[in-house]
Amino acid sequence: MIGSPDVVAFTKEDEYGQTNPDPWALPEEFSVPLHPLADSNPWAKTSYAKFTKDFILISEFSEQVGPQPLLTIPDEPKVCGTFDLNYFSLRIMSVDYQASFVGHPPGSGYPRLSFVEDSRVVLGDSKEGAFAYVHHLTLYDLEARGFVRPFCMAYVSADERKIMLQFQELSLRFSQASECLKAGNRRAFAKELQRKLRDLEYTHSVLQREEGLQREAGPQCMYSAHAVDKANELANVEKSIYEHRDLLRQISSYHHRPRRDPNAVTCQKCVTECLSECEQLLDKYAKLANPFSYTNKRGKREEGQGQVDEEGGGEEVDEEEGVKRRPSYTPQLIKARSAKCFDKRLKTLRELCDNPFYEATVDLLKGTERSFRGDLCYLHTRRLDRALRTKQRVTNFLFEEDLGDDDEDEGGTLRPFCAVNHAVDTFTLLNPPPIVLGPEPLELDALELPDPVDPASVTSHTRENELGLVESHLESSPSDQTLETQGSSEETKGSFGSDKSGTGPAERQQNLACMKSEAPDSDLTPDPEPDHNTDLERESSSEEMETTAGEDDGDGTPVSLLELVSELEGSREDECDGVTDGACEMQSDLLVPLDTACCMSQEGFLYEASAPEAVPRLGQSSHLQPCETLVVNQEPQALLHLQDDYAVGVGSPSSESPAAGLELPVGLLGDAVSRTSAEDGFDCTMSASTGSDRTASPLGYGGVVTLRQRKKAGQGALRFVRQYPFAMQALWCLLSGRTLVVLGADEGTVRRLVAALALFVPGPGKCGERVQAWLSCPFTLTDLQRWKLVGLQRVASPVGSSMLYSLSRYSRYISILDADQKTLRCPSYRGQLLSKIADHRTYIRRGSTYFLHLQSTLCHLAAKAFLFTFTHHLHLPVSSTEGPEVVEGRRLCFLREQLGLGDEDSQILLYLSQLITQQYLQPAAGSRAAAASFSFNYTTSVFYKI
Amino acid sequence: MSSGCPPQSPAVAKSEVAVEGECPLLAATFAYWDNILGPRVRHIWTPRGDQLMFLSDGEVTFLANHTLNGEILRSAECGAVDVKFFVLAEKGVIIVSLIFDGELKGDKNTCALSIVLPQTELAFYLPLHTICVERLKHVIRKGRIWMQKGYNIISVLSLEIVPIMELLASMKSHSVPEDINIKDTVLNDDDIGDSCHEDFLHKAISSHLQTCGCSIVVGSNPEKVNKIVRTLCLFLTPAERKCSRLCKADSSFKYDTGLFVQGLLKDSTGSFVLPFRQVLYSPYPTTHIDVDINTVKQMPPCHEHTYNQRRYMRSELSALWKTDSEEDIPPDTVIHTDESFTPDLNIFQDVMHKDTLVKSFIDEVFMLKPGLSLRSTYLSQFLLLLHRKALTLLKYIEDDTQKGKKPFRSLRNLKTDLDLTVEGDLNVVMAFAEKLRAGLHSFVFGKPFYTSMQERDMLMSF
Repeated sequence: MIGSPDVVAFTKEDEYGQTNPDPWALPEEFSVPLHPLADSNPWAKTSYAKFTKDFILISEFSEQVGPQPLLTIPDEPKVCGTFDLNYFSLRIMSVDYQASFVGHPPGSGYPRLSFVEDSRVVLGDSKEGAFAYVHHLTLYDLEARGFVRPFCMAYVSADERKIMLQFQELSLRFSQASECLKAGNRRAFAKELQRKLRDLEYTHSVLQREEGLQREAGPQCMYSAHAVDKANELANVEKSIYEHRDLLRQISSYHHRPRRDPNAVTCQKCVTECLSECEQLLDKYAKLANPFSYTNKRGKREEGQGQVDEEGGGEEVDEEEGVKRRPSYTPQLIKARSAKCFDKRLKTLRELCDNPFYEATVDLLKGTERSFRGDLCYLHTRRLDRALRTKQRVTNFLFEEDLGDDDEDEGGTLRPFCAVNHAVDTFTLLNPPPIVLGPEPLELDALELPDPVDPASVTSHTRENELGLVESHLESSPSDQTLETQGSSEETKGSFGSDKSGTGPAERQQNLACMKSEAPDSDLTPDPEPDHNTDLERESSSEEMETTAGEDDGDGTPVSLLELVSELEGSREDECDGVTDGACEMQSDLLVPLDTACCMSQEGFLYEASAPEAVPRLGQSSHLQPCETLVVNQEPQALLHLQDDYAVGVGSPSSESPAAGLELPVGLLGDAVSRTSAEDGFDCTMSASTGSDRTASPLGYGGVVTLRQRKKAGQGALRFVRQYPFAMQALWCLLSGRTLVVLGADEGTVRRLVAALALFVPGPGKCGERVQAWLSCPFTLTDLQRWKLVGLQRVASPVGSSMLYSLSRYSRYISILDADQKTLRCPSYRGQLLSKIADHRTYIRRGSTYFLHLQSTLCHLAAKAFLFTFTHHLHLPVSSTEGPEVVEGRRLCFLREQLGLGDEDSQILLYLSQLITQQYLQPAAGSRAAAASFSFNYTTSVFYKI
Repeated sequence: MSSGCPPQSPAVAKSEVAVEGECPLLAATFAYWDNILGPRVRHIWTPRGDQLMFLSDGEVTFLANHTLNGEILRSAECGAVDVKFFVLAEKGVIIVSLIFDGELKGDKNTCALSIVLPQTELAFYLPLHTICVERLKHVIRKGRIWMQKGYNIISVLSLEIVPIMELLASMKSHSVPEDINIKDTVLNDDDIGDSCHEDFLHKAISSHLQTCGCSIVVGSNPEKVNKIVRTLCLFLTPAERKCSRLCKADSSFKYDTGLFVQGLLKDSTGSFVLPFRQVLYSPYPTTHIDVDINTVKQMPPCHEHTYNQRRYMRSELSALWKTDSEEDIPPDTVIHTDESFTPDLNIFQDVMHKDTLVKSFIDEVFMLKPGLSLRSTYLSQFLLLLHRKALTLLKYIEDDTQKGKKPFRSLRNLKTDLDLTVEGDLNVVMAFAEKLRAGLHSFVFGKPFYTSMQERDMLMSF
């Protein structure tokens, strides 16, 4: 056993340990940490802040109590947590940011208003982990020292980098808010001066009368002390009148001064109107050069209606006409000695500013807070993403949400407009700052109001109107506005998304009912952790697929071509009305004799198909050539007008207007419109067609599909991939243009599946026109033209049997995913392209992560399709002797050799390329063009089951 | 300027710095909070040369004093350097102030090192803010040691103020434009091998992306160098391009720490001496591209680079701490004084990991017809793909580790799930992700690396 002295000998620190400080060692406070916190946890950098999320703080440097916080946005106590707002206000307001003279300058007869430009400061408290962009501004208050009240608006964040990287955007937004607040304050200040001048005028007349009476009462040559006091008081009031009149002149000249701030944001209309208002006041009070005229007026006033009210209050009456009539202002007698500084109550921020302007400012700040919410890396990537997508408009339609209508991105978009709803053309940014993170298009058109509100008459609107207008500007994206034109009803709009509170009671009841009815559905129950055992079992069970005889399976009735053609032509007659006659005539040209050697020879004829894509062309407009024209075979020089910017109408609302083409309003559906639970997210607005009312085919989503909705669908897509081992086959069908029918009895289940699978539909349309979430009637071949994904109701009725008939009839064109039986019938897929997005053993845990992964994979596919489409030498004959077969061979060779794709994967690229070509050559046709084709080839279908 | 400026203190010393070209910096100041007199300016540096705006010394003093206002409340930890950024429209200036504590005449004082620019240069300056701040922060660390020893801090601060003036002046004349015309780059060539060898281009771009978009391009022909600089800048964001510099036609700029891409001209002997310390102090590892001999070398990945950088910084500060005389400011050369740390001078190594992402992009982009915007579109698709992959990777790790609360142990799964099994691809995407979330490399790869370094150090000590 080792005794304690031995142990002590070995634990002697000064010999073996490091505790003995080296006098030459650098103290830690002068060094840099070798392993800072960010290394052990890159997410922990901001965790020591005492608030949970960014917020906006408005503070004031009060002349009575010093710096004090006034309000926070969002106005919830939990936002700031235990963060000491008082201390932080002190910190941000103690910066001497202006250092300009205010008050009564030496040598000047009258007090001077100081017109100070705003200043912007970024500072922080590293100990508290709080950093802020602080926008300092000065408001005018007649009661305040030097007539100024210093305020600041601060964006407080725990991430200093976030503020600095977005400095210019923050500066722009806060400048807007500041200018709005100051414009409102100048109006309020002018009104206050007006009232004050009336008071003074009134006081002057009273004093003058009293003095006159005293003079008359006393001896002619003697003045009592009281009379002298009165005379002095009168002189003071007169001086005060001149001073206030001068102040009014100064505030009127506010707009004439040169602006020194190149980053100031002003609304020209606000400026002009405020100016004219002030000048009117100035003119009015300039007439009072002889203050004694009030005596005469007073005489009249005593008789009845007050002259001042008529004159001075006249404007107020005009202003408020149509709303309410405030009691007109009655002049007050001003006491000789005003209240002591600390006795008086200072005006609140709201009182310092005209109400509509105040409300607009708060709304602007709320919008700012919303738009900068979230982690910097996501904000940053979102903007980069958007900037990059604007450069590739030719492929965006495939898998990207609409650029203009992305409400998620609204925050990142700088939308300069007047906060009190002036038209945007009046907006002036003295020096528009370039955006550091990435260019953002200014969507001005969408914000332009048909009837701009006049700020001079702003108070003549009801408060509700004001707010309504402001709300509509701030809250609603152009996408929301277009909803009304989508043919979807208001209630549809209201039920958009589960997190919106605008759902009506009836809808909520319906939703509730649906939620109840969906409870037993275990089809897409969340599966937070992948169960590997189960996955393995599923994997093995998926091997037990039954190979069937393709179309022959369950399809006892061979469909003759004539039947098909007549049906197609019949169903397209209506469409042809809207198209040129030539387009209809083209249909017959497209008919070619079918190769009789084909296994499907009994069908006689089919539309010409260029192997291997074999895409029948339907509903083409007159200038679209068969087969060969499916590639961009024109020399690029001929398309120069398109090549500067691939704005080929993808982004234009007209090109993909849901009202165009085959779509009809939802409103026609009547009884068939149904809703599912709120948890369905966006698919709850999908509607169904019913009975034989085929023309009433509804919109897919009932509105523009937004990024948020797509993200929600990502969760469903991940579940689908995990739960269905044959998910890859289904995805391949969608991506290669083969219509997928999701069959099921339960509407909720089918809708959820469709919503999830809709992510994989190439070119789904701005409003998801290529997707039919719920259909309860048999479909026809025309439907297959327009829909690439269909949710079909399984019913046990005569209608049901006809539906099954239609399913079996068109089975060669479609794949069928049975949500009840959990089976899939489709051609087999043996490619590699989709293995990373449809791996049911994936360790991706969250739907949002899967959605990101999906986005990048689909983006990769779109890029390859773009490459294939625009690699000119592939699609053009090298010499005149080269036939189309050689060109075709070269294209296939490119897909195989260059891109390393197998047959099935090539089909995906061919389909995407075909869509891009259509979109590129026929931008005006937009989604219609995409609808006019569906894939078909002679491959046997395979029956998969779990 | 304001008429209310106080008269200039006669005690304020001033240095005029000769800067070639138009320097957007108006002045740099060192001020401190005197416990009796309040804010005092100790030194002013002004550029001598073409200036956009003139500030009198009194005005500079006035502004510098204001940077310390409110700092009497400062409660930062000892050694912390806080940054304040002012845009004073009333004065038409931007002021960047670094506030720190230091010992002056035996008292602890709050000090401010500031640079003043015209407000019109806001858009020019903002992208360069991080570079300037990081470089000034480090010189402040050195200055604090100098102050602690009772020496004059001004000489230490001048070591960085002058190069920053030169940097800003050079950026004013030679920064890469935000929008690069693809026609000025290699990507406009008719065929892949026209300007440079196919493999060289692939290696250069791949390594450039693996080192977070940070590269130096050296060569004897300025046009050739600048063509590659512009080509590499195509893969950067607009803000990063503003932090990149073309090479000068007649003579070379000095290497500047913190720029993303910079072109440097070799001297008449055909060589360019790269300062080891400055390269190591770059926030990201760097790719070295020699367009004369078509070589591409790269520094170790982010976590190793950061580790080496910090060790070097500590050594440098230690060396300063041990200096006996004020005259002995250690030069910016390699430091050998710390026995525990011997920097590996061979920091540029061959590009080890090939990737498939860049390879296929380079192969494919030349198939598209040049002279149109097809290649630009394809490039933007490629960049979008990389940004999205980086975000997906970040999110994947975030989910897996509960935002860093748990260690990340499933790199293999990540590679499989996100299709990043090729090492080069992973490096490229990780580099993009590192820029979004600093410290990611250290978090993912750091632990085994640190352990191996500690073991190595342990073995070396025997």
